[in-house]
Amino acid sequence: MKREFLLVAEGLTKSFDGFKAIDNINFYLDRGELRTIIGPNGAGKSTFLDLITGRTRPDSGTITYRGNPITRLREYEIYRLGIGRKFQTPSIYAHHTVFENLLLGLKGPRGVFSSIFHRISSSEKNRIAEVLEIIGLTEKAHIPAGLLSHGQKQWLEIGMLLAQEAELLLLDEPAAGMSDEETEKTGNLLLTLAGGHTLIVIEHDMTFIRRLASRVTVLHQGRILCEGSFEHVQNDPRVQEVYLGRKHRAHNQPNS
Amino acid sequence: MSDRLPKVEIFFLLILSAVLIFVIPILNSAVPTDHPFYISNYLVNLLGQYFCLAIVAVSLDFLWGYTGLLSLGQMLFFSLGGYAFGMHLMLMIGRLGQYKSDLPDFMVFLGYNKLPDFWVPFYSFWFAAAAALWVPGLLAFLFGWLAFRSRIRGVYFSILTQALTYAACLLFFRNELSMGGNNGFTDFKFILGKPINSPDTQRALYVASALSLILTYLLLRTLTLTKFGKVQRAIRDSENRVLFSGYAAANYKLFAFTLAAVISGLAGALYVPQVGIINPSQMEPSRSLEAVVWVAVGGRGTLYGPVIGAVGVNALRSWATISLPAYWPILLGSLFILVVLFAPRGIAGFLEFLAGKVLTASRPILPNTQIFTNSSLPKTSSPNPSGQESQKT
Amino acid sequence: MAQLIINSFLKLFSYFAQFNYYFLSHRSLVLSSLLLFVLVFQLYASSDDQLRQSSARSAILKAILAPEEKQPELVEALAQNLHPVLGPILEAWQKGDLFILDLNGKLTPVIRLPDSQLQLVENAQSLPIAQLPENARPLETTGKLRRAMRIILDQLALADPSPEIRENAVLKLGMRQNLQSLPILERLKEQEEHPKVKIAILDAISLINLNSPDTTTKIKALSHFEARAPIFARDSIQKILADSSISPAVRDAANKAMKAIERRIFWTDFFGTVFRGISLGSVLLVVAIGLAITFGLMGIINMAHGEIMIIGGYTVFVVQCLFGTGLALAPFGFSFNLPGLGLDPASNLYQAYFLISLPIAFLISAIVGLILERGIIQFLYQRPLETLLATWGISLILQQLFRLIFGPANIPVTAPAWLTGSYVVEGVIMNYNRIFVIFAAFVILVATWLLLARTPLGLLIRAVIQDRSTAACMGVSTGKVNSLTFAFGSGLAGVAGALLALLGNIGPSTGQTYIVDAFMVVVLGGVGNLAGTVLSALGIGTLDQILQISLRNPVIGKVLVLVGIILFLQWKPSGLFTIRSRSLDEG
Repeated sequence: MKREFLLVAEGLTKSFDGFKAIDNINFYLDRGELRTIIGPNGAGKSTFLDLITGRTRPDSGTITYRGNPITRLREYEIYRLGIGRKFQTPSIYAHHTVFENLLLGLKGPRGVFSSIFHRISSSEKNRIAEVLEIIGLTEKAHIPAGLLSHGQKQWLEIGMLLAQEAELLLLDEPAAGMSDEETEKTGNLLLTLAGGHTLIVIEHDMTFIRRLASRVTVLHQGRILCEGSFEHVQNDPRVQEVYLGRKHRAHNQPNS
Repeated sequence: MSDRLPKVEIFFLLILSAVLIFVIPILNSAVPTDHPFYISNYLVNLLGQYFCLAIVAVSLDFLWGYTGLLSLGQMLFFSLGGYAFGMHLMLMIGRLGQYKSDLPDFMVFLGYNKLPDFWVPFYSFWFAAAAALWVPGLLAFLFGWLAFRSRIRGVYFSILTQALTYAACLLFFRNELSMGGNNGFTDFKFILGKPINSPDTQRALYVASALSLILTYLLLRTLTLTKFGKVQRAIRDSENRVLFSGYAAANYKLFAFTLAAVISGLAGALYVPQVGIINPSQMEPSRSLEAVVWVAVGGRGTLYGPVIGAVGVNALRSWATISLPAYWPILLGSLFILVVLFAPRGIAGFLEFLAGKVLTASRPILPNTQIFTNSSLPKTSSPNPSGQESQKT
Repeated sequence: MAQLIINSFLKLFSYFAQFNYYFLSHRSLVLSSLLLFVLVFQLYASSDDQLRQSSARSAILKAILAPEEKQPELVEALAQNLHPVLGPILEAWQKGDLFILDLNGKLTPVIRLPDSQLQLVENAQSLPIAQLPENARPLETTGKLRRAMRIILDQLALADPSPEIRENAVLKLGMRQNLQSLPILERLKEQEEHPKVKIAILDAISLINLNSPDTTTKIKALSHFEARAPIFARDSIQKILADSSISPAVRDAANKAMKAIERRIFWTDFFGTVFRGISLGSVLLVVAIGLAITFGLMGIINMAHGEIMIIGGYTVFVVQCLFGTGLALAPFGFSFNLPGLGLDPASNLYQAYFLISLPIAFLISAIVGLILERGIIQFLYQRPLETLLATWGISLILQQLFRLIFGPANIPVTAPAWLTGSYVVEGVIMNYNRIFVIFAAFVILVATWLLLARTPLGLLIRAVIQDRSTAACMGVSTGKVNSLTFAFGSGLAGVAGALLALLGNIGPSTGQTYIVDAFMVVVLGGVGNLAGTVLSALGIGTLDQILQISLRNPVIGKVLVLVGIILFLQWKPSGLFTIRSRSLDEG
């Protein structure tokens, strides 16, 4: 039986100057799924997201989203299909206010002329207020985003994805650099998003991953080492060898 | 959201417009020459020229201060506008030239016996006026389309714009182009049938320049307040992020670049009849860099700063080239270094600092006041600890 | 030493035959060829040189003192007493350097040598008097006399001991295409031993045979030219092709020969263009290497690079003046004199001034660079656009300082004697100074590469280029590395300026004309990449030359190069090569 996957990557390969960052990956993602990708440094996790979002072009292989190939599209075209990304380091517009950041993220026409003649509608204002509520930044709506704390910046970036109403959210280390309390809040946020949205989360923090209780894909040296539930992955001897053997170090350096 | 012009600003603009457009011309034409408030024809003409240069400065700031595109060839578009309109003025000389021919003098001198075909439409004032806008606009569009499409950014973009004006400058020095070679166009006689050097004509040109400056300011200022303006500044701060927010940054940059070129062309067309000459030296890379000085000194990212900078630096230039001709380049160079080193936000930054002191900080001071981070330099390998983007290619 | 290097460099090309063809006159002179043959033969046969010299001298003395209408005849008769001493005398006569002085009542012919010395025609003794009397008039010549003198000079040249002169004379004779000259050439062919002259004789015979009424001879001559393809035969063959009465076989042979010659011309032009392109590219390369390093390392576009380069040019000028008669300067209204060493311009030490000034240019420019880096640029790291602006301010100031110190005009740098002149290979003219620049660019390139790849400083530089913050964490003083690298880049710029002084003018704004091109090289080559810089410098240089030649318009060529670069960047947005470090794609 052929299943309708939301995102399919097949035979994906990308090398940089001879170094194979992604090596013949086949990846299938269901609609509404929450997937976690783990792997040691240099496993190719971020490169994989780069390939999906059009930041890098693969050497070979295809990526299809809802059955349409997206391999040759530009970043903004892929975004407009409903794929949003949060970067590893928070990337928000530091000189814009929190409100403006969300405004720029809002779903809607993105052409030059429509932006010139754009007037904020009340429904847009309401949507922004909603998102501000979800990410808990209502009070900081009118200060420059550069003044936010690290965790707040991460949330703002997630908020921009929410404003976008992206169907597929790619989150690169969403809990990095957060306090325990913030991490927990982030975890809850992700869990509420799953179902309505489809998520791919890259993380190092094992407690956080366990909490998400999602299907886990392990990347190692550009290949998929194994895939399955957290327990299944944890018990896989190959994973223990290449990755969980270094678990403690990963714990000590959650930001690496 | 304060997305409309602040009331204070509208009020101030109205007063300024009244002074520039009504008071100064009246003081020039209706006041006896020995009256202390009399403004001489010379000064009116000079102010008109400064305002044209200020228009260029504002358009340049729209690119540099708001979009992060440092154009080192803005005076090319200015010159193209000037040349387009200058062609019309050359044809209006008629048979009053030295050679008493229907052709412009330089063509007679070079042995032409017929006007080149592309000159013919420039008999029409409106065609020339329109060409002063669309010729620079078209060039900017083509160049920008190629440059932005291939993601040429930062210093690369700057260097290519400089090379563009350099190449155009070399081209215009050639006689084969039928554009007057290194002498360019001069000795204009009439504009719209009026003698071009009469005080009345010059006053009218002054008013047109002042009006254009105010309208340009209003247009660009309004644009920066729209969502377009927000995207524009977002591109300046973090272009990659903008791409991942679904905006085709290249189109926004192309629009800004083309619009700025059109505006500069307008300034050139107004400037040429007031100064009475246009030649390829206006396209030399150093002229465009000088325009950057006006913006830097005035304070980029404010739109009014460049007006102060253009008028101020050019007034200084007018004074220094007479009083200290040998030291003017040194003065200009030092001014540039000092501003870049010690006052990156220019005069406007200083004024806002004072205003902030008076109004007790109505604006929060950003943690990172530098506008350009390493992210405007594409694909260097050094990781950027302060940039907001992860440095991945 | 440098000369030795150049010579060995030239030997690379020495397997090409060397030709120097001077087409002096195409006007055909009526020659009595038989007479000529006899005379030349006589010249070779005679052995008693002393005797022949004095008889030649007395014969020309007679001709000089004869009445005007008899002179041509007497000069033609000199053919009977042909001797090399006649050459300088006849040449002096032609040029108006022959005078008849009244010395103690005796009419004495004297010639004025190029160094203004006076020499007796009679016995080649120098006259003690330094100057000509004021009323002295050079001896006049008539058209008929000049023709006679030219015949004698031609004959002298055919018998000249120098092979080059013989070669030229033979070809000149051939160019006249007079069938009557054939016997002389046939005879010369027998006697000649020098291979080059022998080839020239064969060429000359074939040239003359092109005029032969006999079709077979004609075709034979044409096939000779098809094999040799000398450019000088082109006009003669064209003349044959223009004649509609020739037989198909002749036409066929002529066409073949013509094609061979045109191919030769194409390749000569092509290699000439490539050579000029490479030499232009080498200049660009030296200018761009420094720029590429500072850009690659610090992300700095140094707009003052051109002016730092010109400092090198001015250094050469100052060193040249100090070796010579000194230098008077008047900066800021204070005038002072720098005394010179007063060396003789012909002396070896003076001739070495250029080599000595190269390291000085490097040092001075490097020091200026260091001061700029410490004083201004170090505060602007990570702000590339602002650095660009600040360095432009510096460039403005430097330009004006040059103007105030050295004046607004270009300064005269004279290339040392051993770098003037050119080397001609198969018609491709290669100037010594251009060859030197290519060579110097190569040395600089290798030195830079060695510095980066083999020295501790190079290691530090590469570390900082790859990952600034990690290098800083590992204890690398990045500030010091920056300063040193910037100084090194500036020093290279200074050397580039010194080399430029050799090729063209150095003036206050010269730097501006090279800087845009140098930027193009860096942009095209990719950041901080030597291989990319080399490729793009040579590529831009050659392309520029080829476009200039084929379009006959230097400006359109430049514009096309710019458009080409923009189009190229469409395809490879970050230049030919990009450095990608592993850290970029780490997850």
